[in-house]
Amino acid sequence: MTGPENELFMTILARLEQWKQQSEISPEQHAYLAGLSRGEPFSLFLELNVLLYAGVLAFVAGLGWTVSTWSEQLGDVLVLTVLSTILATCFWYCFSRAPAWSPAETPAPNPIFDYVLYLGGLVWSVELVYVEKRFNVLSGRLDFPLLATAILFFFLAYRFDNRFVLSLGLSSLAGWFGLTISRWSGSQEAVYRQDALLYCLLVSVGGAILQRRGLKPHFFETYLNIVANVLFWALLSGVFNREGYGLWFLALFIACAASLAWGLRRRQFVFVAYAAVYGYVGVSSMFLRGVSGETAILGYFVVTGVAMLVLLVQIGRRFGGPA
Amino acid sequence: MRIYGASSEETLRARRLLTDWAGEGYLTKAQYQVLEQETVFELRTTNIFLRLVLFLFTLISVGATAGLFFVVFLSRPSEQTAGVFFLIFAAVCYAAAEVAVSKARLYRYGIEEALAVCSVGFLCAGMQAALFSGSHFSPRPDAAQFLVPAAGAVFSLWIWHRFGFSYAFLAAMIFVPFLPGYWTASHSEQRLMVAAFYAAGLASVAAVRSRHRFDYLDEGYSVVEAMLWLGIYVAINLQLSSLNILSFNLLVRSWGGIRASAEFAKPFYWGTWVVIWLLPPIILARGFRQKDRFVIAVGAIAATLTLVCNKPYLGWPRHTWDPILLGILLTAVAVLIRRWLAQGPGGIRHGFTAARLSGKDKHWMNVGSNVLGLVSPQSITPEPQTSNAGVHFGGGHSGGGGASSDF
Repeated sequence: MTGPENELFMTILARLEQWKQQSEISPEQHAYLAGLSRGEPFSLFLELNVLLYAGVLAFVAGLGWTVSTWSEQLGDVLVLTVLSTILATCFWYCFSRAPAWSPAETPAPNPIFDYVLYLGGLVWSVELVYVEKRFNVLSGRLDFPLLATAILFFFLAYRFDNRFVLSLGLSSLAGWFGLTISRWSGSQEAVYRQDALLYCLLVSVGGAILQRRGLKPHFFETYLNIVANVLFWALLSGVFNREGYGLWFLALFIACAASLAWGLRRRQFVFVAYAAVYGYVGVSSMFLRGVSGETAILGYFVVTGVAMLVLLVQIGRRFGGPA
Repeated sequence: MRIYGASSEETLRARRLLTDWAGEGYLTKAQYQVLEQETVFELRTTNIFLRLVLFLFTLISVGATAGLFFVVFLSRPSEQTAGVFFLIFAAVCYAAAEVAVSKARLYRYGIEEALAVCSVGFLCAGMQAALFSGSHFSPRPDAAQFLVPAAGAVFSLWIWHRFGFSYAFLAAMIFVPFLPGYWTASHSEQRLMVAAFYAAGLASVAAVRSRHRFDYLDEGYSVVEAMLWLGIYVAINLQLSSLNILSFNLLVRSWGGIRASAEFAKPFYWGTWVVIWLLPPIILARGFRQKDRFVIAVGAIAATLTLVCNKPYLGWPRHTWDPILLGILLTAVAVLIRRWLAQGPGGIRHGFTAARLSGKDKHWMNVGSNVLGLVSPQSITPEPQTSNAGVHFGGGHSGGGGASSDF
């Protein structure tokens, strides 16, 4: 019998009762945990946060759409006044309510604080591009505003301990490096690859220094994840080259080994997954170069697929319990 | 009929709750260590990342093995022959999934999941090729061809029932809209049939899950119920194609959604308009009553979609400031609910609180803020509107929260 009728079957409520009788948990703990198991109280924390996030996103999307469509009819003064008022209000709210700065992880002073800051960051972006494109202050060169925006977002992220704004800062910095997804398939691939590698170097070294100095060390994971993905994409694009791919392949191999070692040592298995997937794509691209027979190609995928499975199962057995 | 023992799955659930409670400080470290010993389970599990990678490589291995078999042993087989072998592959994959669980005790390990998924794929491909070869070139496909999606749906349901994979139930739901096309040409009848299928499923699930309110099966049923509510809503809402979401649009267009107001009879059209306004409060009421996170989420999604689709339904023009109003509404609702809950005794009203009680919530918030912070600036940057534009935005890159966009 495998159903709940099985005599060995014990729900969490029955277990809690048993643990209370065995004095392994106190009656107060039992009452509280049994309540949680029954959904009493039921937390709407996540749902309300998602609603706030969606609200901010919809608001800024509408703002950008309205400004782009009606700027001539509304006039620059009105547009800039409205945008600046929202921006100033957001930043005033955040600076006036923020607790004293601490290098450690700091909870937001109230539940809407993070979203007000995020709104300010997005409105800043809308206003910046509006000013540049309407008045051509920097002669169409968006690299300086992007860098300035990245610096502002990093400052805000570290001041207010906000991961949303940190991600905005990292994407702005990537934009400054010319690393935007739409450009990625362009003809100057080698230049963008170099930009990507420079970006990875700067972000990883910067992140490591800040972590070592104890400045918001919990942000380091965000840095590493972004660096890993950008780095692997850059290296893979080099491996896919028709010529001169050997060095890129070596670099990919080293990056995979480093990612695997880091993931296993720190028990952060997302890095093991990066190493496995990106590494497999790179190695497959190398091995299958010039191979045309269906049998050889399919045989390769059978052998390597099974080999990867065996390897990953061994890793899973040794290191990879549920995270 | 379920392949995993109830006690194993309940023990696994208990272990996860213990870990969560210890992380939140509801249990001391010493208590956790003692209680952990009492929740030992024999299933072999892994973390989500290894699970995904194992799933991927199992798919690659199985697909390549099948391809290699055809290349080596069958040169240019007829469709019927290929179909028969696909059916054999389906049986082998399913048997392998069973063995992986019963012998190797794999639980959400990626391998057994990919094998089960492959068995559904091979079954459908095999039935199509073996029973209806050549009919896809025919201008009028064989009416009996409905057996292919029907078999896919039934087998997916079996996989869900046997292994408990919620996405197998989703697969079964995806097969369902392909069925009515073989029975009637009317799009309104097709939609009603699909909604009726989902409603029947919903009634069955609602009846069964009441017996499992506090055991390990409840979460699985919760996901399934939420998917069915969403399925009914999507089947009924004729204006979802007006949303500018590419992938979703393709799915809805393929179902005749783009012809909305022109094609459907007026009573049906306005009937669905009434239903899309009625469904969200019903779903939300059910979710709050059951304290069901997934159903509440679907209720909120349905409510938002109704607000977004209302103007297209009524034939009113959309305005650029509509998203601003929607944003203000969503934010206001979130703030008001939070405040109202916080003002209750102990921050609780009617059994609900806005406070965080689980470490999982914080984890999802961190993951979400990292991912969405990178993705959202690009997704919200509007496309240029040439008709009105004195100034135009364009594209929008991820850099600078959209700051690299062109006006």
